[in-house]
Amino acid sequence: MTDACIRRARPLLGTLVEISAHGSDEDAVRLAVDEAFRMVEAVQRLMSYHDPESDVSRINREAARQPVAVASHTWRVLDAAQSIARASDGLFDITVAPTLVAFGFLPQHADFPRASGQGDWRHVELLAERRVRLARRLCLDLGGIAKGYAVDRAIGVLQSHGMRAARVNAGGDLRVFGAPMQTVHIRRPGAPTELMPLVELGEGAAATSADYYTARRRSGRWVTPLIDPRTGVSCPRGRSVTVFAPDCMTADALTKVVHADPQRAIGILPKFSARALMLHDDDDLDVCKLYTLADAGRPWQTHWLAENARHV
Amino acid sequence: MRIVFVATAAVLAPVAAFAVDYLSAEQAFKLMFPDADHFEPREFPLNAAQMQELEAQGVRARSVHWTVSVAQRAGAPLGYVVVDNVIGKSELITYAVGIGLDGAIKQVEVLSYRESHGQEIRLPAWRRQFVGKTAASSLHSGDDIANISGATLSCSHVTEGVKRIVAVVALARRSGGLP
Repeated sequence: MTDACIRRARPLLGTLVEISAHGSDEDAVRLAVDEAFRMVEAVQRLMSYHDPESDVSRINREAARQPVAVASHTWRVLDAAQSIARASDGLFDITVAPTLVAFGFLPQHADFPRASGQGDWRHVELLAERRVRLARRLCLDLGGIAKGYAVDRAIGVLQSHGMRAARVNAGGDLRVFGAPMQTVHIRRPGAPTELMPLVELGEGAAATSADYYTARRRSGRWVTPLIDPRTGVSCPRGRSVTVFAPDCMTADALTKVVHADPQRAIGILPKFSARALMLHDDDDLDVCKLYTLADAGRPWQTHWLAENARHV
Repeated sequence: MRIVFVATAAVLAPVAAFAVDYLSAEQAFKLMFPDADHFEPREFPLNAAQMQELEAQGVRARSVHWTVSVAQRAGAPLGYVVVDNVIGKSELITYAVGIGLDGAIKQVEVLSYRESHGQEIRLPAWRRQFVGKTAASSLHSGDDIANISGATLSCSHVTEGVKRIVAVVALARRSGGLP
Protein backbone atom coordinates (compact mmCIF):
# COMPACT_ATOMS: atom_id res chain seq x y z
CA MET A 1 0.00 0.00 0.00
CA THR A 2 1.43 3.37 -0.97
CA ASP A 3 1.49 6.09 1.58
CA ALA A 4 1.47 9.80 0.87
CA CYS A 5 2.02 12.15 3.78
CA ILE A 6 1.71 15.91 3.84
CA ARG A 7 2.49 18.22 6.75
CA ARG A 8 1.76 21.93 6.44
CA ALA A 9 1.40 24.93 8.72
CA ARG A 10 -0.29 28.28 8.26
CA PRO A 11 -0.87 31.27 10.52
CA LEU A 12 -4.55 31.10 11.49
CA LEU A 13 -6.69 31.58 14.61
CA GLY A 14 -4.02 33.89 16.01
CA THR A 15 -1.51 31.04 16.14
CA LEU A 16 0.12 28.47 13.88
CA VAL A 17 -2.21 25.75 12.70
CA GLU A 18 -0.48 22.57 11.61
CA ILE A 19 -2.21 19.86 9.60
CA SER A 20 -0.69 16.51 8.81
CA ALA A 21 -2.44 13.76 6.86
CA HIS A 22 -1.71 10.30 5.50
CA GLY A 23 -3.53 8.92 2.48
CA SER A 24 -2.91 6.68 -0.48
CA ASP A 25 -2.47 9.31 -3.16
CA GLU A 26 -0.52 12.56 -2.97
CA ASP A 27 -3.01 14.68 -4.91
CA ALA A 28 -5.89 13.49 -2.75
CA VAL A 29 -3.95 14.24 0.44
CA ARG A 30 -3.03 17.71 -0.79
CA LEU A 31 -6.63 18.48 -1.67
CA ALA A 32 -7.84 17.23 1.73
CA VAL A 33 -5.28 19.33 3.61
CA ASP A 34 -6.20 22.43 1.56
CA GLU A 35 -9.89 21.90 2.29
CA ALA A 36 -9.14 21.40 5.99
CA PHE A 37 -7.29 24.73 6.12
CA ARG A 38 -10.22 26.35 4.33
CA MET A 39 -12.53 25.02 7.01
CA VAL A 40 -10.34 26.54 9.74
CA GLU A 41 -10.51 29.88 7.91
CA ALA A 42 -14.30 29.63 7.74
CA VAL A 43 -14.56 29.02 11.50
CA GLN A 44 -12.19 31.93 12.13
CA ARG A 45 -14.34 34.27 10.01
CA LEU A 46 -17.49 33.32 11.92
CA MET A 47 -16.16 33.34 15.46
CA SER A 48 -13.42 35.93 15.66
CA TYR A 49 -13.92 38.61 18.30
CA HIS A 50 -11.67 40.93 16.32
CA ASP A 51 -13.46 40.69 12.96
CA PRO A 52 -16.39 43.15 12.90
CA GLU A 53 -18.20 40.97 10.34
CA SER A 54 -18.12 37.76 12.42
CA ASP A 55 -21.23 36.21 13.98
CA VAL A 56 -19.73 36.95 17.39
CA SER A 57 -19.40 40.66 16.59
CA ARG A 58 -22.94 40.77 15.23
CA ILE A 59 -24.21 39.21 18.45
CA ASN A 60 -22.20 41.65 20.55
CA ARG A 61 -23.47 44.64 18.57
CA GLU A 62 -27.15 43.75 18.21
CA ALA A 63 -28.36 40.76 20.23
CA ALA A 64 -29.23 42.76 23.34
CA ARG A 65 -31.75 44.66 21.22
CA GLN A 66 -33.04 41.93 18.92
CA PRO A 67 -32.36 38.24 18.19
CA VAL A 68 -29.46 37.65 15.79
CA ALA A 69 -29.44 34.65 13.43
CA VAL A 70 -26.09 32.85 13.21
CA ALA A 71 -24.47 30.20 11.00
CA SER A 72 -24.81 26.55 11.98
CA HIS A 73 -21.11 26.34 12.96
CA THR A 74 -21.50 29.25 15.38
CA TRP A 75 -24.72 27.74 16.69
CA ARG A 76 -23.05 24.44 17.50
CA VAL A 77 -20.26 26.19 19.41
CA LEU A 78 -22.72 28.37 21.35
CA ASP A 79 -24.80 25.31 22.18
CA ALA A 80 -21.76 23.38 23.43
CA ALA A 81 -20.53 26.40 25.39
CA GLN A 82 -23.88 26.64 27.16
CA SER A 83 -23.89 22.90 27.95
CA ILE A 84 -20.45 23.15 29.52
CA ALA A 85 -21.45 26.31 31.40
CA ARG A 86 -24.49 24.48 32.76
CA ALA A 87 -22.57 21.32 33.69
CA SER A 88 -19.88 23.36 35.44
CA ASP A 89 -22.27 25.83 37.05
CA GLY A 90 -20.56 28.72 35.30
CA LEU A 91 -16.90 27.77 35.64
CA PHE A 92 -16.89 28.07 31.86
CA ASP A 93 -18.59 31.24 30.70
CA ILE A 94 -18.44 32.90 27.27
CA THR A 95 -19.56 36.25 28.71
CA VAL A 96 -16.18 37.09 30.28
CA ALA A 97 -15.20 39.26 27.29
CA PRO A 98 -15.51 42.61 29.17
CA THR A 99 -12.92 41.39 31.70
CA LEU A 100 -10.61 40.34 28.86
CA VAL A 101 -11.04 43.79 27.29
CA ALA A 102 -10.33 45.48 30.63
CA PHE A 103 -7.16 43.37 31.01
CA GLY A 104 -6.06 44.30 27.49
CA PHE A 105 -6.39 40.82 25.98
CA LEU A 106 -9.21 41.78 23.61
CA PRO A 107 -9.68 45.04 21.70
CA GLN A 108 -12.34 47.57 22.59
CA HIS A 109 -14.96 47.80 19.84
CA ALA A 110 -16.41 51.31 19.74
CA ASP A 111 -19.69 50.15 18.22
CA PHE A 112 -20.46 47.43 20.79
CA PRO A 113 -22.93 48.62 23.44
CA ARG A 114 -21.24 49.10 26.80
CA ALA A 115 -21.61 45.88 28.79
CA SER A 116 -23.83 46.37 31.81
CA GLY A 117 -21.65 44.31 34.15
CA GLN A 118 -24.79 42.38 35.09
CA GLY A 119 -25.61 38.85 34.04
CA ASP A 120 -23.66 35.86 32.84
CA TRP A 121 -23.98 32.80 30.60
CA ARG A 122 -27.55 32.23 31.86
CA HIS A 123 -28.58 35.38 30.02
CA VAL A 124 -27.44 34.10 26.64
CA GLU A 125 -30.61 32.76 25.05
CA LEU A 126 -30.49 30.29 22.18
CA LEU A 127 -33.82 30.62 20.37
CA ALA A 128 -35.47 28.71 17.54
CA GLU A 129 -34.08 28.99 14.02
CA ARG A 130 -30.50 29.50 15.24
CA ARG A 131 -31.17 32.92 16.70
CA VAL A 132 -29.35 34.33 19.71
CA ARG A 133 -30.64 36.91 22.17
CA LEU A 134 -28.84 38.52 25.08
CA ALA A 135 -31.15 39.16 28.01
CA ARG A 136 -28.58 41.55 29.51
CA ARG A 137 -26.08 43.84 27.84
CA LEU A 138 -23.37 41.19 27.60
CA CYS A 139 -20.33 40.72 25.46
CA LEU A 140 -19.38 37.26 24.18
CA ASP A 141 -16.00 35.82 23.32
CA LEU A 142 -15.65 32.29 21.93
CA GLY A 143 -11.85 32.37 22.24
CA GLY A 144 -11.98 29.66 24.90
CA ILE A 145 -13.73 27.10 22.72
CA ALA A 146 -13.75 28.00 19.00
CA LYS A 147 -10.17 26.95 18.34
CA GLY A 148 -11.04 23.45 19.50
CA TYR A 149 -14.09 23.45 17.25
CA ALA A 150 -11.99 24.52 14.27
CA VAL A 151 -9.68 21.56 14.95
CA ASP A 152 -12.66 19.18 15.09
CA ARG A 153 -14.09 20.45 11.80
CA ALA A 154 -10.70 20.21 10.09
CA ILE A 155 -10.41 16.61 11.31
CA GLY A 156 -13.92 16.02 9.94
CA VAL A 157 -12.85 17.28 6.52
CA LEU A 158 -9.80 15.01 6.52
CA GLN A 159 -11.93 12.01 7.49
CA SER A 160 -14.52 12.72 4.81
CA HIS A 161 -11.71 12.88 2.26
CA GLY A 162 -10.75 9.34 3.22
CA MET A 163 -7.45 10.07 4.95
CA ARG A 164 -6.00 7.03 6.72
CA ALA A 165 -4.59 9.04 9.60
CA ALA A 166 -4.26 12.70 10.43
CA ARG A 167 -3.66 15.26 13.09
CA VAL A 168 -4.53 18.92 13.43
CA ASN A 169 -2.77 21.12 15.96
CA ALA A 170 -3.91 24.70 16.46
CA GLY A 171 -1.20 26.09 18.69
CA GLY A 172 -1.59 23.42 21.34
CA ASP A 173 -5.19 22.32 20.77
CA LEU A 174 -4.81 19.10 18.87
CA ARG A 175 -6.70 16.07 17.69
CA VAL A 176 -5.52 12.86 16.05
CA PHE A 177 -7.11 9.86 14.39
CA GLY A 178 -6.11 6.71 12.63
CA ALA A 179 -2.48 6.51 13.65
CA PRO A 180 -0.91 4.13 16.12
CA MET A 181 -0.49 5.65 19.56
CA GLN A 182 1.45 8.91 19.35
CA THR A 183 3.36 10.67 22.10
CA VAL A 184 1.99 14.03 23.13
CA HIS A 185 4.58 16.42 24.50
CA ILE A 186 3.42 19.04 26.97
CA ARG A 187 5.27 22.30 27.53
CA ARG A 188 6.65 22.88 30.97
CA PRO A 189 5.00 26.02 32.38
CA GLY A 190 8.16 27.38 34.01
CA ALA A 191 10.26 26.70 30.89
CA PRO A 192 7.91 26.33 27.93
CA THR A 193 10.55 25.28 25.43
CA GLU A 194 11.02 22.11 27.45
CA LEU A 195 8.73 19.49 25.99
CA MET A 196 7.73 16.63 28.23
CA PRO A 197 6.43 13.35 26.77
CA LEU A 198 3.59 12.70 29.18
CA VAL A 199 0.80 11.03 27.26
CA GLU A 200 0.19 8.54 24.45
CA LEU A 201 -2.84 9.40 22.36
CA GLY A 202 -4.32 7.19 19.65
CA GLU A 203 -7.68 8.73 18.98
CA GLY A 204 -9.05 11.89 20.50
CA ALA A 205 -8.07 15.39 21.46
CA ALA A 206 -5.80 17.26 23.83
CA ALA A 207 -5.96 20.95 24.66
CA THR A 208 -3.68 22.94 26.94
CA SER A 209 -4.25 26.32 28.56
CA ALA A 210 -1.54 28.12 30.49
CA ASP A 211 -0.35 31.64 30.99
CA TYR A 212 3.36 31.48 30.14
CA TYR A 213 2.96 33.28 26.81
CA THR A 214 0.30 35.74 27.87
CA ALA A 215 0.66 36.79 31.52
CA ARG A 216 1.30 40.50 31.84
CA ARG A 217 1.50 43.11 34.54
CA ARG A 218 -1.38 45.53 34.73
CA SER A 219 -1.66 48.23 37.39
CA GLY A 220 0.94 46.47 39.49
CA ARG A 221 -0.57 42.97 39.43
CA TRP A 222 -0.29 39.99 37.12
CA VAL A 223 -3.19 39.25 34.85
CA THR A 224 -3.78 36.36 32.45
CA PRO A 225 -6.61 35.63 30.01
CA LEU A 226 -7.59 32.63 32.15
CA ILE A 227 -10.38 34.16 34.20
CA ASP A 228 -12.45 32.69 36.99
CA PRO A 229 -15.88 33.80 35.72
CA ARG A 230 -17.34 33.88 39.23
CA THR A 231 -14.87 36.49 40.46
CA GLY A 232 -13.50 38.13 37.31
CA VAL A 233 -10.01 37.48 38.66
CA SER A 234 -7.20 35.72 36.79
CA CYS A 235 -6.59 32.11 37.83
CA PRO A 236 -3.37 31.37 39.77
CA ARG A 237 -0.21 31.83 37.73
CA GLY A 238 2.33 29.19 36.74
CA ARG A 239 -0.14 26.39 36.16
CA SER A 240 -0.62 24.49 32.93
CA VAL A 241 -3.78 22.47 32.37
CA THR A 242 -4.22 19.85 29.64
CA VAL A 243 -7.58 18.20 29.08
CA PHE A 244 -8.09 15.08 26.96
CA ALA A 245 -11.51 14.45 25.46
CA PRO A 246 -13.02 12.66 22.47
CA ASP A 247 -13.35 16.02 20.69
CA CYS A 248 -11.16 19.11 20.82
CA MET A 249 -13.90 21.67 21.40
CA THR A 250 -14.82 19.98 24.69
CA ALA A 251 -11.16 19.60 25.68
CA ASP A 252 -10.51 23.29 24.91
CA ALA A 253 -13.44 24.56 27.00
CA LEU A 254 -12.81 22.20 29.91
CA THR A 255 -9.26 23.51 30.38
CA LYS A 256 -10.89 26.73 31.63
CA VAL A 257 -13.06 24.76 34.07
CA VAL A 258 -9.99 23.08 35.56
CA HIS A 259 -8.15 26.39 35.83
CA ALA A 260 -11.08 28.02 37.60
CA ASP A 261 -11.58 25.19 40.11
CA PRO A 262 -9.46 22.02 39.94
CA GLN A 263 -11.34 20.38 42.79
CA ARG A 264 -14.80 20.82 41.30
CA ALA A 265 -13.44 19.74 37.92
CA ILE A 266 -13.07 16.21 39.37
CA GLY A 267 -16.85 15.79 39.24
CA ILE A 268 -17.37 17.66 35.97
CA LEU A 269 -14.86 16.10 33.59
CA PRO A 270 -16.34 12.56 33.68
CA LYS A 271 -19.64 13.97 32.33
CA PHE A 272 -17.71 14.65 29.11
CA SER A 273 -15.54 11.49 29.18
CA ALA A 274 -12.59 13.81 29.74
CA ARG A 275 -9.29 13.35 31.58
CA ALA A 276 -6.78 15.95 32.63
CA LEU A 277 -3.31 16.69 33.81
CA MET A 278 -1.85 19.73 35.51
CA LEU A 279 1.73 20.92 35.69
CA HIS A 280 2.88 23.39 38.25
CA ASP A 281 6.37 24.80 38.49
CA ASP A 282 7.41 25.72 41.97
CA ASP A 283 10.11 28.33 41.60
CA ASP A 284 11.16 28.23 45.25
CA LEU A 285 11.84 24.52 45.22
CA ASP A 286 12.80 24.37 41.52
CA VAL A 287 10.51 21.43 40.98
CA CYS A 288 7.72 20.73 38.53
CA LYS A 289 4.74 18.92 39.96
CA LEU A 290 2.50 16.74 37.85
CA TYR A 291 -1.09 16.00 38.81
CA THR A 292 -3.32 13.71 36.83
CA LEU A 293 -7.02 13.09 36.70
CA ALA A 294 -6.82 9.81 34.82
CA ASP A 295 -9.74 7.82 36.25
CA ALA A 296 -13.31 9.03 36.63
CA GLY A 297 -14.31 9.51 40.24
CA ARG A 298 -10.81 9.53 41.68
CA PRO A 299 -9.16 12.70 42.98
CA TRP A 300 -6.05 14.32 41.51
CA GLN A 301 -3.02 12.08 41.76
CA THR A 302 0.36 13.64 42.35
CA HIS A 303 2.73 11.48 40.36
CA TRP A 304 6.16 12.84 40.82
CA LEU A 305 8.18 15.84 41.64
CA ALA A 306 10.56 16.54 38.84
CA GLU A 307 13.92 17.86 39.81
CA ASN A 308 16.75 19.12 37.66
CA ALA A 309 14.69 19.24 34.45
CA ARG A 310 15.31 22.96 34.17
CA HIS A 311 18.17 24.16 32.03
CA VAL A 312 20.24 26.83 33.72
CA MET B 1 -10.67 8.20 22.89
CA ARG B 2 -7.53 6.07 23.26
CA ILE B 3 -5.12 7.49 25.81
CA VAL B 4 -2.36 6.31 28.10
CA PHE B 5 -0.78 8.50 30.76
CA VAL B 6 2.97 7.98 30.80
CA ALA B 7 3.38 9.14 34.34
CA THR B 8 6.60 7.58 35.45
CA ALA B 9 9.92 9.08 36.41
CA ALA B 10 11.43 7.50 33.31
CA VAL B 11 9.75 10.02 31.04
CA LEU B 12 11.51 12.90 32.66
CA ALA B 13 13.73 13.64 29.69
CA PRO B 14 12.45 16.86 28.24
CA VAL B 15 13.21 17.71 24.64
CA ALA B 16 14.60 21.21 24.62
CA ALA B 17 14.91 22.13 20.97
CA PHE B 18 13.15 21.02 17.85
CA ALA B 19 12.63 21.97 14.26
CA VAL B 20 10.09 21.22 11.58
CA ASP B 21 10.63 21.81 7.89
CA TYR B 22 7.36 21.98 6.00
CA LEU B 23 8.30 23.17 2.55
CA SER B 24 11.32 24.46 0.69
CA ALA B 25 10.94 27.90 -0.86
CA GLU B 26 10.78 26.28 -4.30
CA GLN B 27 8.02 23.92 -3.21
CA ALA B 28 6.04 26.81 -1.76
CA PHE B 29 6.43 28.84 -4.96
CA LYS B 30 5.13 25.94 -7.03
CA LEU B 31 2.26 25.36 -4.62
CA MET B 32 1.14 28.98 -4.79
CA PHE B 33 1.56 29.40 -8.54
CA PRO B 34 1.29 25.93 -10.09
CA ASP B 35 0.96 27.42 -13.58
CA ALA B 36 4.21 29.38 -13.40
CA ASP B 37 7.15 28.19 -15.50
CA HIS B 38 9.68 30.60 -14.01
CA PHE B 39 10.23 32.57 -10.81
CA GLU B 40 12.31 35.68 -11.38
CA PRO B 41 13.93 37.09 -8.22
CA ARG B 42 13.97 40.89 -8.16
CA GLU B 43 15.99 42.87 -5.65
CA PHE B 44 14.05 45.80 -4.33
CA PRO B 45 16.10 48.04 -2.03
CA LEU B 46 13.96 50.60 -0.20
CA ASN B 47 15.18 54.20 -0.18
CA ALA B 48 14.63 56.59 2.71
CA ALA B 49 11.50 58.11 1.20
CA GLN B 50 9.99 54.67 0.64
CA MET B 51 10.81 53.62 4.21
CA GLN B 52 8.98 56.73 5.40
CA GLU B 53 6.04 55.97 3.17
CA LEU B 54 5.71 52.54 4.79
CA GLU B 55 6.03 53.99 8.27
CA ALA B 56 3.25 56.43 7.40
CA GLN B 57 1.05 53.40 6.65
CA GLY B 58 1.85 52.05 10.09
CA VAL B 59 4.21 49.38 8.75
CA ARG B 60 7.65 49.00 10.28
CA ALA B 61 9.86 48.38 7.24
CA ARG B 62 12.52 46.56 9.33
CA SER B 63 14.84 45.96 6.38
CA VAL B 64 15.91 47.92 3.32
CA HIS B 65 16.65 44.74 1.35
CA TRP B 66 13.72 42.90 -0.12
CA THR B 67 13.67 40.16 -2.70
CA VAL B 68 10.40 39.65 -4.51
CA SER B 69 10.09 36.63 -6.78
CA VAL B 70 7.87 37.24 -9.77
CA ALA B 71 5.89 34.18 -10.84
CA GLN B 72 5.79 34.09 -14.62
CA ARG B 73 4.27 32.03 -17.37
CA ALA B 74 5.74 32.50 -20.85
CA GLY B 75 7.21 35.78 -19.65
CA ALA B 76 3.91 37.20 -18.36
CA PRO B 77 3.65 37.89 -14.61
CA LEU B 78 1.15 35.83 -12.57
CA GLY B 79 1.95 37.19 -9.12
CA TYR B 80 4.65 37.55 -6.47
CA VAL B 81 6.18 35.52 -3.66
CA VAL B 82 8.25 36.85 -0.77
CA VAL B 83 10.07 34.69 1.78
CA ASP B 84 10.76 36.17 5.19
CA ASN B 85 11.82 35.19 8.73
CA VAL B 86 10.44 36.35 12.04
CA ILE B 87 11.92 35.75 15.46
CA GLY B 88 9.75 35.26 18.50
CA LYS B 89 10.71 34.76 22.10
CA SER B 90 12.20 31.35 21.43
CA GLU B 91 11.22 30.54 17.87
CA LEU B 92 12.37 31.31 14.35
CA ILE B 93 9.65 31.07 11.72
CA THR B 94 10.32 31.16 7.99
CA TYR B 95 7.26 31.75 5.86
CA ALA B 96 6.28 32.65 2.33
CA VAL B 97 3.57 35.02 1.18
CA GLY B 98 2.02 34.67 -2.28
CA ILE B 99 0.39 37.80 -3.70
CA GLY B 100 -1.79 38.02 -6.80
CA LEU B 101 -1.59 40.67 -9.51
CA ASP B 102 -4.50 42.42 -7.77
CA GLY B 103 -2.25 42.95 -4.74
CA ALA B 104 -4.34 40.62 -2.55
CA ILE B 105 -2.84 37.82 -0.47
CA LYS B 106 -3.19 34.52 -2.26
CA GLN B 107 -1.63 32.19 0.28
CA VAL B 108 0.62 32.16 3.33
CA GLU B 109 2.66 29.04 4.05
CA VAL B 110 5.04 28.36 6.91
CA LEU B 111 8.27 26.91 5.48
CA SER B 112 9.97 26.06 8.74
CA TYR B 113 9.60 26.40 12.47
CA ARG B 114 12.59 26.23 14.80
CA GLU B 115 12.49 26.46 18.52
CA SER B 116 15.23 26.51 21.08
CA HIS B 117 15.37 27.03 24.80
CA GLY B 118 18.54 29.06 24.64
CA GLN B 119 19.42 32.50 23.44
CA GLU B 120 20.93 31.18 20.22
CA ILE B 121 17.69 32.02 18.45
CA ARG B 122 18.94 35.62 18.54
CA LEU B 123 22.41 34.79 17.22
CA PRO B 124 22.90 35.43 13.50
CA ALA B 125 25.34 32.52 13.28
CA TRP B 126 22.77 30.08 14.64
CA ARG B 127 20.14 31.30 12.18
CA ARG B 128 22.59 31.32 9.27
CA GLN B 129 23.12 27.58 9.47
CA PHE B 130 19.57 27.12 8.14
CA VAL B 131 19.81 29.57 5.27
CA GLY B 132 19.74 27.86 1.92
CA LYS B 133 18.69 24.52 3.41
CA THR B 134 15.97 22.91 1.41
CA ALA B 135 13.26 21.14 3.26
CA ALA B 136 13.10 18.24 0.83
CA SER B 137 15.91 16.38 2.55
CA SER B 138 14.45 16.59 6.03
CA LEU B 139 10.71 16.81 5.63
CA HIS B 140 10.15 14.47 8.53
CA SER B 141 12.77 15.85 10.87
CA GLY B 142 10.24 16.81 13.51
CA ASP B 143 8.20 13.64 13.40
CA ASP B 144 9.54 12.24 16.64
CA ILE B 145 7.92 15.13 18.49
CA ALA B 146 4.93 15.69 16.31
CA ASN B 147 2.33 16.45 18.93
CA ILE B 148 3.01 19.38 21.17
CA SER B 149 0.31 20.64 23.42
CA GLY B 150 0.89 23.91 25.17
CA ALA B 151 -0.46 27.36 25.72
CA THR B 152 -1.31 29.07 22.46
CA LEU B 153 1.74 30.57 20.87
CA SER B 154 0.84 33.96 19.46
CA CYS B 155 1.87 34.41 15.85
CA SER B 156 1.27 38.16 15.80
CA HIS B 157 4.81 38.68 14.50
CA VAL B 158 3.97 36.54 11.47
CA THR B 159 0.76 38.54 10.95
CA GLU B 160 2.76 41.78 11.11
CA GLY B 161 5.30 40.33 8.71
CA VAL B 162 2.59 39.42 6.20
CA LYS B 163 1.20 42.98 6.34
CA ARG B 164 4.70 44.35 5.81
CA ILE B 165 5.23 42.17 2.74
CA VAL B 166 1.90 43.21 1.21
CA ALA B 167 2.85 46.86 1.72
CA VAL B 168 6.36 46.39 0.29
CA VAL B 169 5.06 44.61 -2.82
CA ALA B 170 2.44 47.34 -3.35
CA LEU B 171 5.17 49.96 -3.03
CA ALA B 172 7.45 48.11 -5.41
CA ARG B 173 4.71 47.94 -8.00
CA ARG B 174 3.78 51.62 -7.63
CA SER B 175 7.37 52.66 -8.06
CA GLY B 176 7.81 50.54 -11.18
CA GLY B 177 10.18 48.10 -9.48
CA LEU B 178 7.97 45.15 -10.38
CA PRO B 179 6.04 44.20 -13.51
